Amino acid sequence: MKLQIIKNRKYYYFFSGALFLIAVLSLIAWGLKPGLDFTGGSQMELNFSASRPQVTEVQSALAPLSLGQVIVQPANNQDIILKFKAVSEDDHQKILSAIKDKFAVNGTAIKENQFDSIGPVIGQELLNKSWTMMLIATLAIILYIGFAFRKVSKPLSSWKYGVSAVLALAHDLIIVTGLFSILGHFWGIEVDSLFITALLTVMGFSVHDTIVVFDRTRENLSKFYSGKYDEVVNDSVNQTVVRSINTSVTVLLVLLALYVLGGDSTKNFTMALLFGIFIGTYSSIFVASPLIVDWNNWDHRLKKK
Amino acid sequence: MPENHLSKFFKPGKRGRLRWVIFAIAIIFILTAFIDATGVKNIVAEKIDQGLSNIPLVSDAKIFPNLTLNPLDNTKRLGWSSIKQIDLTTYGLPYRLGLDLQGGAQLTYNADLSQIPVADRKSALDGTKDVIERRVNALGVSEPVVQTSMSGNTPRISVELAGVYDVNSAIKMIGETPLLEFKTENPAATKLTDAQQKQLDDMNLVVRKNAVEVLDKVKAGGDFAALAKQYSEDTGSKDNGGLYENVKKGQFVAEFDDVIFNKLQPGQVYPDLVKTVFGYHIIKLESVTGSGDTKTVNVRHILFKTKTSADIGIAPQAEWLNTKLSGKNLKKATVEFDQTSGVPQVTLEFDNEGAQLFADLTTANVGKPIAIFLDGTAISTPKVSEPILGGKANINGNFSADEAKTLAQRLNAGALPVPVTLVSQQTVGATLGQVAVQKSLVAGFWGLIIVALFMILYYRLPGVLAVCALLVYTAISLAVFKLFPGFTFTLAGITGFILSIGMAVDANILIFERLKEELRSGKELAKAIDDGFSRAWTSIRDSNASSLITCFILYWFGSSLIKGFALTLAIGILVSMFSAIVITRQFLLLVAKWKISKMKFLYHIKK
Repeated sequence: MKLQIIKNRKYYYFFSGALFLIAVLSLIAWGLKPGLDFTGGSQMELNFSASRPQVTEVQSALAPLSLGQVIVQPANNQDIILKFKAVSEDDHQKILSAIKDKFAVNGTAIKENQFDSIGPVIGQELLNKSWTMMLIATLAIILYIGFAFRKVSKPLSSWKYGVSAVLALAHDLIIVTGLFSILGHFWGIEVDSLFITALLTVMGFSVHDTIVVFDRTRENLSKFYSGKYDEVVNDSVNQTVVRSINTSVTVLLVLLALYVLGGDSTKNFTMALLFGIFIGTYSSIFVASPLIVDWNNWDHRLKKK
Repeated sequence: MPENHLSKFFKPGKRGRLRWVIFAIAIIFILTAFIDATGVKNIVAEKIDQGLSNIPLVSDAKIFPNLTLNPLDNTKRLGWSSIKQIDLTTYGLPYRLGLDLQGGAQLTYNADLSQIPVADRKSALDGTKDVIERRVNALGVSEPVVQTSMSGNTPRISVELAGVYDVNSAIKMIGETPLLEFKTENPAATKLTDAQQKQLDDMNLVVRKNAVEVLDKVKAGGDFAALAKQYSEDTGSKDNGGLYENVKKGQFVAEFDDVIFNKLQPGQVYPDLVKTVFGYHIIKLESVTGSGDTKTVNVRHILFKTKTSADIGIAPQAEWLNTKLSGKNLKKATVEFDQTSGVPQVTLEFDNEGAQLFADLTTANVGKPIAIFLDGTAISTPKVSEPILGGKANINGNFSADEAKTLAQRLNAGALPVPVTLVSQQTVGATLGQVAVQKSLVAGFWGLIIVALFMILYYRLPGVLAVCALLVYTAISLAVFKLFPGFTFTLAGITGFILSIGMAVDANILIFERLKEELRSGKELAKAIDDGFSRAWTSIRDSNASSLITCFILYWFGSSLIKGFALTLAIGILVSMFSAIVITRQFLLLVAKWKISKMKFLYHIKK
């Protein structure tokens, strides 16, 4: 059985285009919900051994401290997460004792499981750093692909493979980011530095996948470059498709185990990886290779004119 | 013939060499697995210990060599310990867990270098880092990490305190390091007139009178806590009945400290008022825990604040001017006794630059006082009688011998060369981390099982071999994590490792798909294996390189938690390449010799 991936490419283009469009629209309309480490601010996670107070009770207990807006979220069964502006250590202790005074009664013990307070300057710096990281990673990967495919020049020059791989990569990253924009808008899921880490990992993985497919094209071209270019590419995709899918399946399986059984604090991270690696595998099969075929056709048409 | 055996040993045939390689892999596996499964706080080690000591015959087997000391003649003798006697958790290295897993705090400070000349900023920042490091070490943190960085133009110091849960006192400890400054008289300072000074003194007499009255009530058997609630002016303790709990030595001002640690027994009230910079204190020692350096006390006090010039409507105009000389220039502080009077004094010895600065300072201020400030308070204001050129200064502040000693110690532990401010803190409780570790281990375990099942069901014989290789891979990676200097496990790092298990399979899959192709084209097994591997190698190399590049960038730029992820993933990828190319290949070559392996069924090849 042979998959006619190149022949049917307009369907895949359409599908990818639609996803891409939705992602871009969502990013324009809703943007991303930045996490604490980017915006700065404080987050406090408290555990109540017995009855947990109501949201409004907590807010009124903290009202005298003039913290500005305090967001109170119940979490798990006995936890409460408080979010407010960045505070000094003194204020932190005041907040803690205000809550303990009010609610640590009738044998309820209150434990502070986690406290982060991040100055707004630090957040801005982290954001800048993340952009730098993405930029450098993209450049490094373009350079690397150019290097890896330097020996392939017929009929398509090596840098065009590189650009196609990067286009497929951009497709993956935009769609994953778009998904988190939608998740952020409807379910309040935030984008933090772990998300950036996930994007970079997906970057590495997606290119990794694309390289395996292109590598096969490279080998087949050097072996029997007699057939039509699109047939050679289609054969190459077919020869590697089982490997691509199986590799992703094993990675997706472990990620799924992590998502279901792993800790809460890395759930969003795992989800970004899950989705990113899925879409990365899809694009290496159904987007990257069709792109090089179309580029080749385009070149031919230009030559004829 | 022995010669024959020897020559076989050293010049093995092709088949013999393969056996040796497999043997070496087995040794590596056993060694690394032993490294992995030992060490303190190691769940696996505990389980193995438990399991082994429950098997009747095995647990008594004496297989562990053990040097025992013969008490009669003091010679060491080689003996054997049984499995039961060996506690795996006391051998080997522990896994190093990051802040998010074992709990702890990460503090980020801004260092204010604006007072320091540009050329000296780097050394001032490094000096501050050293001082904070010493302070943190005094907290008893096992492996504190203190790092400096420049963020744009802002110098940063980040402090990671693993296993510290009382972050509040840690922050105090770091922030309250003595800040040593030398100041000169400000000619423009507001001086109190004699009348104003008298007014202030009169007010303070009233304060003292009130304090004495309350002290009498306490002595007459009044309820200390209730009186503290009523009269104390210390807002921090007033509502608790004046109570401070778990007070360590050095936490409060010297006069207070001296009374509670040296002069009172639990339950006693100090019979006099104690005067400090804050005012008059009535002090009662409640209880004492521990002794020596770890001694802590619970103490109550009632504070009567003394009035300052601000209380009579005079804004405190800086009386003193900053100079360039600071704690940064301090080489060492020692306690000396004045040769004539025998009064203890603290002698400061400056470095070269400090000596020069001090010489200039004293030359310019002959006949005027120079103030030595500690943490913003003048502790000594000696008048300069003549220029001091020797690079030494004496602080003569009516100290007792003990006070002088403590001050010298604090100064030696480090005067902060520059002020620092806390700009961010991240704290994780211990339980949260433990739960996360446990959950991740469970997830990793099931992840491994699922992947193993998938590989065996889909690839059959090679799949089984790949799973064996995967086990070796897991053992090696975990050992590398333990042995790699400075490596710590973070939650993201565990994710990275579990992810790398999935990726480790990738190289195997690439090879097996190739192998199947080669077999389909009719090659015999051994040839197919060789060709399959060599063809798959370029793909494996090129594709993993891109992942390694992103890992490298993440490691270079990321915060410590992300560094953990990048490092685990990178180590995982490198070990996985080794495992696929060396280990799986050797396994396959070994199995290829077996007759049964000729069956195509075992490779899942459709004809």
